[in-house]
Amino acid sequence: MPIRPNRMLLALGLLTLVALGGCATRPPADDPEAIADFRQTNDPVEPLNRTMYSVHQGIDEYVLRPVAVGYREVVPRPVRMGVRNFLGNLRTPVILANDMLQGEPRRAGDTAGRFLINSTLGLGGIFDVARDHFNVPGHTEDYGQTFAVWGIGEGPYLFLPIIGPSNARDLVGFGVGLVADPFFWFGQGAVVQALDYTRVGATAVDTREGLIETLDDVQRTSLDPYATLRSGYRQNRAAQIENRLDPRAGQAGVGTGFGTGAGGAAPR
Amino acid sequence: MTTIERRLVLATALGLPLALPFRQAAAAIDAARASSFIQGTGNELVGAINSSAPVARRRESVAGILRRAVDIEGVGRFILGRFWRTATPAEQQEYTKLFEETLIHNLASRFGEYQGVKFTLGRSQANTEEDVMVSTSVERPNTAAFTLDWRVAEVGGGPRIIDMIAEGTSLRLTQRSEYASVIQRNGGQVSALLAAMRQQITQMRANER
Repeated sequence: MPIRPNRMLLALGLLTLVALGGCATRPPADDPEAIADFRQTNDPVEPLNRTMYSVHQGIDEYVLRPVAVGYREVVPRPVRMGVRNFLGNLRTPVILANDMLQGEPRRAGDTAGRFLINSTLGLGGIFDVARDHFNVPGHTEDYGQTFAVWGIGEGPYLFLPIIGPSNARDLVGFGVGLVADPFFWFGQGAVVQALDYTRVGATAVDTREGLIETLDDVQRTSLDPYATLRSGYRQNRAAQIENRLDPRAGQAGVGTGFGTGAGGAAPR
Repeated sequence: MTTIERRLVLATALGLPLALPFRQAAAAIDAARASSFIQGTGNELVGAINSSAPVARRRESVAGILRRAVDIEGVGRFILGRFWRTATPAEQQEYTKLFEETLIHNLASRFGEYQGVKFTLGRSQANTEEDVMVSTSVERPNTAAFTLDWRVAEVGGGPRIIDMIAEGTSLRLTQRSEYASVIQRNGGQVSALLAAMRQQITQMRANER
C-alpha cells in the first residue's frame, strides 16, 4: 500500500518546509495594537504561506479550476449529485468516530443512521435517502475539530498547494483522518490502490466544483485574496467547531483546506 | 407585513438619519423590530432582484435599497479599524466614499445573480446589548438553500444592517482582515489602500461596460 506512506511523507515534508521557511516580521514592541493584530492573524510564516499560495493559484488556474468547470459542464447534475453523496457516505465512518470522540451522542446517532440508510436504501451512498426522505441531513466532523473541542489551539496558519488554507492543528487532524479512515486500510493490491487514487481525485474535483462561485467571487472582489481566504477559513472553521453551520449548505468536507463542509449540498 | 408598515419602516430608516445628522452611540434594539426591518428590506430586495427590468436597472434598484438599509459609514469605519485614527481627515473622507461604492457594487452584483430568489425569516436573537442577529434562509432555483444572518443595530434612530454572515463568515470581519493586510504590506500607509480601492473601482466600471 505505497499510497499511505507517500502521503505521510508528503505531510511531513510540508511541515519541515514550514519549519524552515521564512518568518513574518513582528511589529515593533511599542505598537500594542499592531502586536494584537499580529497575534490575531496568527500567520508567523506568512512569507512562505504566500509563496505556497501563489504556487496553488498557478495550479488552480491551469488545472483545478478548468477541470472543475469542465466537470460541471460535461457531467449532468444528477450524476454529480450522486458522486457527491457517494463520497460523503465514504466519509461517514470518520465523521461518526469524531461525533463520538466529541461526546455528541445525538449527532453520532444521526451519522450512524445515515450510513446505514444511505449504504442500503441509498444504493451504496449514491442517493442521500436519509436527508431527502428521513429528514436527517449530514454534518461534518473531522479530527481537527475534535482536537479543537478538546481544547487544542489551532497553531500557526498554513497554506498548502492543492489542499488550501489550514493550520497546524487541522493539518495534523487531516493526516490522522487519512490514517484512521477504515476505507484506506481495506484490502490491498492494484485495484484497491486505483480505487484510492480515484477517490482522492474525485474528492478534489467535487470539492473544487462546489467552490467555483465562492472562489471566483474572492478573486474578483478582494484586494488581497490571500488575506480574505485566511480570515474566511478561520471563521468558517470556528463555526464548524461550534456546530453552528447550516448542514444544508455544506461543501464536500475533507477536514481541512478548501473543502470543509458537510458534503450535503446539491451541486449546481 | 403590510405595505403601509413597510413604508413606515422605510420612512423611519430614511427620515431619521436626516433629522439627526450627528451620529449617536448605537442604542439598544428590539429583536422584533430588527426582524421586521429585515423582513421589509428582504422583500424589497427580492422584488428588485426578481423584477423583469434589464440587469442594469435591477442592479441600480438593489443598490438603492442597500444604500438605505446598510449603515455604510459605520461598517466602513469598523472595517478600517485602528487605521481610521491614523488616516488624515482627507483620507477618511475619500475612504468613506470609495468604501460605499465598492460595498454597494459588490453586494448589488452578488445579489443581482440571485434571480428567482426566495427568502424566509428565521429566528432573531439579541446578540449583544447593541445588536440583534436576524437569521434568514435563502433559496434559489437549482442550488441548496443557505442561511444568511443579518446583524442589525439601531443607528441614528433607525434599524440598519451592520453585518452579513454566511457560512459562519462575517462580511465585515473578513473585509477588515483584507484591508488591514493591504495597509500592513504597504508600510502602514492608508493611502496605499485608497490607491488599491481606486484601481478596483476603475476596473469594476470597465467590466460593467
